[in-house]
Amino acid sequence: MSTTSGSSGLKRREFLKVLGATGAAAGTVGCSSDSVERLIPYLNHPDQTVPGVSNYYATTCRECAAGCGVIAEVRDGRAIKLEGNPAHPLNQGAICSKGQAALQGLYNPDRFRGPMMREGERLVPITWDRALQELNTRLDQAGPALANGVFINQHESGSFPVVLDQWLATRGIPGHLSYDADLNLGTIAAHRQAYGVAWPTIDFTQARLIVSVGADFLDDWGAAVPQQLNFADARAQLQNAPRFVYVGPRRSLTGLNADQWIPCRPGSELAIMQALGGTGTASIAQAAEAAGVEPTLLQGLADELRGAGRSMILAGTRGADAMEVALAAAALNQALGNVGVTILPGSPATAFERAASYADVRGVVEQMASGQVPVFFVRGANPAFTTPPALGFAAAMARVPFKVSFSSYPDETTLLCDLILPDHHALESWGDAQPVPGLIGLQQPTMDPVFNTRPTADLLLLLTGGGALSAAPLAISGATSPGVEVPGAAALGSQVVPAPAPGAVTTTPREHLYRDWLIGRIPGGAAALTSALQTGLIAGNVGQSAAAVRPAPAPVAALPAIAQTEGDFFFHIYPSPLLGTGSGANKPWLQELADPVSKIAWQTWIEIHPTRAWDMGIDNGDLVTITTGTGSVTAPAYLYLGIHPDTVAMPLGRGHTAYGRYAAGIGVNPLIAVPAAEDAQSGGLAYSVTKCRVTKTGGFDDLVTTEGSARQHGRGIAQAMTVAELMAPVTDDHGHDIPGVPSYEPLPGLRSPVAADAQGELADPDSKDKGMYDPQHWSKMASRRWAMTIDLARCTGCSACVTACYAENNIPTVGAPWQGRATSPLTWDERPGANIVKGREMTWIRIERYFEGGEDYGSNFDTRFAPMLCQHCGNAPCEPVCPVYATYHSPDGLNVQVYNRCVGTRYCSNNCPYKVRYFNWFGYGEPNRRQYAFPEPLNWQLNPDVTVRGKGVMEKCTFCVQRIREAEHRAVAEGRLVEADEFTTACAQACPSRAIVFGDAADATWSVAQLATDRRAYHVFGDLSTYTAVVYLKSIIHPGPATPVQA
Amino acid sequence: MTRRRKWAAVPGLAVIAVIATLLSAYSGAQTAQQAGAAQQAGAAQQAGAAPAPLPTVDEVRASIDTVAERGPWAYSGASSPQGYAPEQPINFPHPVHVQGAGMNCLYCHFSANKAPDPGLPAVATCMGCHSIVATGSPEIQKLTQYWSDSLPIPWVRIHKVPDYVQFPHQRHVNGGVSCQTCHGEVQEMPRVFQYASLNMGWCVNCHVERQVRYDCSTCHY
Amino acid sequence: MATIARPYSDPAGQRPNVPSADIQLPAVKSYEQVDEEIIGTLRPTGKWFLGLGLAIFCMLIGAAAWTYQIYWGLGQAGYEPPVMWGVYIITFVFWVGIGHAGTLISAILYLFRAGFRTTIYRAAEAMTVFAVLTAGLFPIIHIGRPWKFFWLIPYPNWRLLWPQFKSPLVWDVFAISTYLTISTTFLYIGLIPDIAVLRDRETNPVRRQIFAVLSLGWRNSEREWRHFARAYLFLAAFSTPLVLSVHSVVSFDFAMALTPGWHATIFPPYFVAGAIFSGFAMVWTIIIPIRKWWNLQHYVTLNHLDATAKVVLFTSLVVGSAYFIEFFIAWYSNVPVEQEYFWNRVFGQWWWAAWIMLTCNMILPMSLFSQKLRRNPTWLFILSLFINLGMWFERFVIVVPSLSHEFEPWQWSDYAPSWVDMSFLIGSFGWFFMWFLLFIKQLPVVAIAEVKEIIPPKLRGTVDSHGASAHGGH
Repeated sequence: MSTTSGSSGLKRREFLKVLGATGAAAGTVGCSSDSVERLIPYLNHPDQTVPGVSNYYATTCRECAAGCGVIAEVRDGRAIKLEGNPAHPLNQGAICSKGQAALQGLYNPDRFRGPMMREGERLVPITWDRALQELNTRLDQAGPALANGVFINQHESGSFPVVLDQWLATRGIPGHLSYDADLNLGTIAAHRQAYGVAWPTIDFTQARLIVSVGADFLDDWGAAVPQQLNFADARAQLQNAPRFVYVGPRRSLTGLNADQWIPCRPGSELAIMQALGGTGTASIAQAAEAAGVEPTLLQGLADELRGAGRSMILAGTRGADAMEVALAAAALNQALGNVGVTILPGSPATAFERAASYADVRGVVEQMASGQVPVFFVRGANPAFTTPPALGFAAAMARVPFKVSFSSYPDETTLLCDLILPDHHALESWGDAQPVPGLIGLQQPTMDPVFNTRPTADLLLLLTGGGALSAAPLAISGATSPGVEVPGAAALGSQVVPAPAPGAVTTTPREHLYRDWLIGRIPGGAAALTSALQTGLIAGNVGQSAAAVRPAPAPVAALPAIAQTEGDFFFHIYPSPLLGTGSGANKPWLQELADPVSKIAWQTWIEIHPTRAWDMGIDNGDLVTITTGTGSVTAPAYLYLGIHPDTVAMPLGRGHTAYGRYAAGIGVNPLIAVPAAEDAQSGGLAYSVTKCRVTKTGGFDDLVTTEGSARQHGRGIAQAMTVAELMAPVTDDHGHDIPGVPSYEPLPGLRSPVAADAQGELADPDSKDKGMYDPQHWSKMASRRWAMTIDLARCTGCSACVTACYAENNIPTVGAPWQGRATSPLTWDERPGANIVKGREMTWIRIERYFEGGEDYGSNFDTRFAPMLCQHCGNAPCEPVCPVYATYHSPDGLNVQVYNRCVGTRYCSNNCPYKVRYFNWFGYGEPNRRQYAFPEPLNWQLNPDVTVRGKGVMEKCTFCVQRIREAEHRAVAEGRLVEADEFTTACAQACPSRAIVFGDAADATWSVAQLATDRRAYHVFGDLSTYTAVVYLKSIIHPGPATPVQA
Repeated sequence: MTRRRKWAAVPGLAVIAVIATLLSAYSGAQTAQQAGAAQQAGAAQQAGAAPAPLPTVDEVRASIDTVAERGPWAYSGASSPQGYAPEQPINFPHPVHVQGAGMNCLYCHFSANKAPDPGLPAVATCMGCHSIVATGSPEIQKLTQYWSDSLPIPWVRIHKVPDYVQFPHQRHVNGGVSCQTCHGEVQEMPRVFQYASLNMGWCVNCHVERQVRYDCSTCHY
Repeated sequence: MATIARPYSDPAGQRPNVPSADIQLPAVKSYEQVDEEIIGTLRPTGKWFLGLGLAIFCMLIGAAAWTYQIYWGLGQAGYEPPVMWGVYIITFVFWVGIGHAGTLISAILYLFRAGFRTTIYRAAEAMTVFAVLTAGLFPIIHIGRPWKFFWLIPYPNWRLLWPQFKSPLVWDVFAISTYLTISTTFLYIGLIPDIAVLRDRETNPVRRQIFAVLSLGWRNSEREWRHFARAYLFLAAFSTPLVLSVHSVVSFDFAMALTPGWHATIFPPYFVAGAIFSGFAMVWTIIIPIRKWWNLQHYVTLNHLDATAKVVLFTSLVVGSAYFIEFFIAWYSNVPVEQEYFWNRVFGQWWWAAWIMLTCNMILPMSLFSQKLRRNPTWLFILSLFINLGMWFERFVIVVPSLSHEFEPWQWSDYAPSWVDMSFLIGSFGWFFMWFLLFIKQLPVVAIAEVKEIIPPKLRGTVDSHGASAHGGH
């Protein structure tokens, strides 16, 4: 019985079976080590692959419109990890949770295995030939009526829209709608009108004051990752960092990063903007009245704006006046002279150009409802879910005789279709994107297709015999090429390998029509493409497809202002920073990842202010019904300080009725209660347009939260200091000597191999047997001290590191409804997140979100984010209590957990002050248990270098020891030592704030060694003399005139 | 009197039983002797005439208990499939290729010196020669059959460390550990069998002797 | 020669069983009466079969739960991290504690010449062995991979690995196994003369042969008695320190950790006192029904119960003061984490558990200040049940609130046992009582030979060997 019986079939050698040869273990003889296992060789060995060694392919992330560059780590033919592309100017190596979770889209167990066709009520599998034949015949039948055909495509930049429109043209179908429900259309329209570009670059580092009016630039407003990188840099200027004031009805993740929050009622933002600008009619007093906030706060902000010098005002509301608010913000920026200083229209992002609006979709719905539409195509978008049911999209679709979906997931829209031609995943197909002018991000297949899918682009070319579509060459602009070598690649621990050269690829040619079409567009052809794929980048511009020309929808009757609607609370809806408007919901990593603000997973909640809630006798978890003129939704209440007392808020993203096992039936969809309203000017879908009545149902549902106490109780876990303290002359704040411990200097102490090793030999200078912990020991293992610094001034709590850790370390997700425990011999706890309610989540690294101040339930409170992971104590409490030596201290400073030695007494966890050890309560790695976390083919993603833990053993952060060992192997092979900052951990690599730095604290050439001596540095619970290897750097508070200091 | 003493024997017998059990587990001494004998035997064989007849599977297997190292206490070695010599889909004779054709291990196991995995020759690699060489032999015809059906050869795995053990081949090969140290004299094996116990103590012994890192996280993570 | 167990005339005065006023058994007239009445208890009754059936049923519930838990994993128990220990460890400590009274009575009181032990020590001794037998299961039950339990035991192995001798859990393994061995031996040695009696009176040849082997050929000679007395004295002296050491070691499981509420130097004495306290309660729970159902009131007299009640009262006061010292130290230490925890213990999340503990272990035993209640078996029985409950909750209060309210506020949590936990709790009682009931039907639950020693001399009839042998013969 081995520790990891569950993982047999997941390991490195198994990966040799990429040819699809089946059956690894044919029967078992005796114990597992005797099982008859097959070794399956290649027929022909593919170029460039060495068994057990990763290749790295540069490609482009298509999870959102931004189009960041990513590098896919491919081991033995399977993509196992996505990391940011350091060479990419947009995300510079960083990557968000959504982007990393693309892998679980690729390996999603609910993807269509092949083309499907409707027969009666059912969808039945068919062959591709049959499917294409069907498509052709139905299109031919439709004939001229095709002029009313509709194609809704996900919004994406690059060449595909061009080829798509060309194909539509050959069929006489009008241009496609490029729809993305996540886009902030009000702002985009305002930008276009004010600056002439959809999205100017926003430079936080230049500002002294940031004012955001509902613009959640860290969540979903614009291109989150580049903005976060820049914002973190701005905050890292410490005493020179900009002060950040957030105005809005709810403190989003962005709002929690603000130094000051001015709460306002939804719909009052415009008045506030006008008041701040002194423009328009509204005075400060009126604005404050409308917003339900003390006038002094607004007055203070207005004064501050005038005195600030370089500032920026960002607006991103989602009401019916979204565009007006954004325009007012633009005007204010003009007036304050911020344009060209902090707001840079000169270097715009092109990713958001030509996005279709919600109004266009409404037009399509009217068209379909009228029965004129002969054929409806959808690809990558899910309008049946992302539009309010009040719009009646599904009903309208039913009027269309022939509906085709290119989606490879069974989402709500696709399941209404008659013919399903599943597309490749972006990681399986060719493509390109144009995130910024003069730069083309290339997208290449990182592995052979998982299922019998086919890239839509290839299909279109195939349908037209390929040649018919002109390949207009990409325009090479004057933009400087980013160069071929990848500067950060070494830091990634990766050698970037180009994709298989065209022609050398051993897949059937039909897979590459689109690639060849692309090559046709690239000056220099295949050779140029191959070299460009080194970085995944090429200088140039994509010829834009014409914007869709279709009858403009009849204007909607202007809605009454939200304040005039019926109800006692304002109803505020926002896209989830993790699930967006729902596209992420079928990826267990994103479902499991606690919301950065509420820390709730696998559930939809209703945010309500404590004071109002207690008046109504509502407490956390009480089921609450929200009723509007349109409909009503019921969900558990979450009492949240950061919401205007007159407002209740709900996140979008959950409440799917389809979309696979991880999405269907989990949470509720607040759109049910939203009238199908739009911003009359920009045509964007308006979320905050109505008030609601809130009633307590009397029911109760445990909040699936990872939060214990939201207060630090003065225990100094996430510490902060004021600028004054930072500038004060240095005093020795390194504390006292602890008796009995040799020379305790908390931070320099890291330089010693292990401050006081768990076995105590170093602690006793007279000891004869110092063993491997002695720096003089022949193995020289004690010469390193792996350590980490976490800069709380940079950390925004976005949780990308958590997803990175799940991906790198094969951490099981435990929240799916079937993974719970038995509540009786016959019944199981099948609530989503049942295990998390029992505190059994496995997040090796978690983001703790603590509130400071706000004891009066006012708006003036501060938020501290503290990533908490194994501190790898030099003097670890967990080590001496393990009866079997399953946890011990490695001489290079790691606190090691040996899974196969662990018997599961859990004493180590009891004795861990940081509570960062996680126990395998069930056989999450055992395919024959209902709690199995990696249903085929999700297990293809598992990292072969990391053991999949069996039930009954403890696990925890390893400082990515597999990466350490890999670096050591590489260094030895090249006959050198591991170089400074040569590699880093998964969390540090992903971090879009660059808050985490990993390295050898015993070697001053590593950057972590300097950071560890920063005067902001401190150890959590240092007085327990655990000598932690994780050093936190205090965040800096920037109290404004209106905010007293929260020490 | 005698009746009384008789009863005193009961606890006495119990003690004797326990001691006997412990002694039965001890196998160190006689193992050492066998090992010595086997080494002489091996030496004699190599000194012998060049085309010495290859030992049969059973002959070679008979000697493995003595060549693989064991601690003085023979506990917990029992579960090792040491000596496992399964029938392979194609009876691949290593001696013919290594001694006969003088091929290097790395010719087929191409990544043993640069990757954690030693690498398994692709069927095409075999066909590189065997489309011409010895095409007549029944075993080769099996091979060509696989090739023409474009099926991979389902070799039966012999040497396996558990999934929670990370064994980077390149570190060992480049570190001067010959293939034979762990896999035995494969070049003399008409059919490959598991030579060493591959038990943890066996690994650790070598790591200690060679003065290389041997704390748990070297191999377990 | 046919024999009948007759008392050992004890020139050296090593045996405590000197007839004294407070322990004499006026209603016991002769050795024959003793043999008759005590061996009479071995006749199976309907009540006994009922009890045994119930015990085995409960034991099977536990067994089923274990099978289920091993298949699915520990997640089926109610653990809610960071509360990584729960009902299993609580019940483990509970049973280890129960065990202590037996050794205390049979060994320490023996050395102290406390005569009142004579009639109850056999029951207490048996209780010890079976309680430790029960407790010993839980460390195996509560670990994640029970099939690897043997890794806690140091044995030469090919991995060249040893246990972590610094870990209190390894100390536990030694402590428990030692304790089980010694107390079993002690029980057995004490049984030898009585087994000899059974052998002589047994008619069934098979059972007779078994008894013959077990009695190691006891012939009741002066010489055997001398050796017996020496051996018994030696073992008593040998197991006396164990009473103190074992539960001290168990308390180290907590005291050695830095968890607030665990990290306290008072734990060893505090645990030992608590163990004796709960052990005596369990003795009552067992002996009071027995003396009633088998009419042994004139053996286990009110004087004896009175004496035990005084011990219970004393230990209750010790435990009570220990509780208060804990609170005092928490306040005096001026460590916020510690203070916050102890406040939370009585007024927070877990107030009810703490107050059950305080009521059952401190307030109710106060009633024993009244002699009337000390001599009222019914009350003592009821009180014993309360004390058992209270002591279980004492361990609950130590384990659960401490873990649920530790250094890291973000990880504060709740805890609720699951049906699996409860099945194990029930199973443990079934397992314990199964053994005990089997014991009292095979071997005398009151020490025959020692009772005979305390029969007032003037009442001692001369031994009629023929009569006796006649008895033995049939």
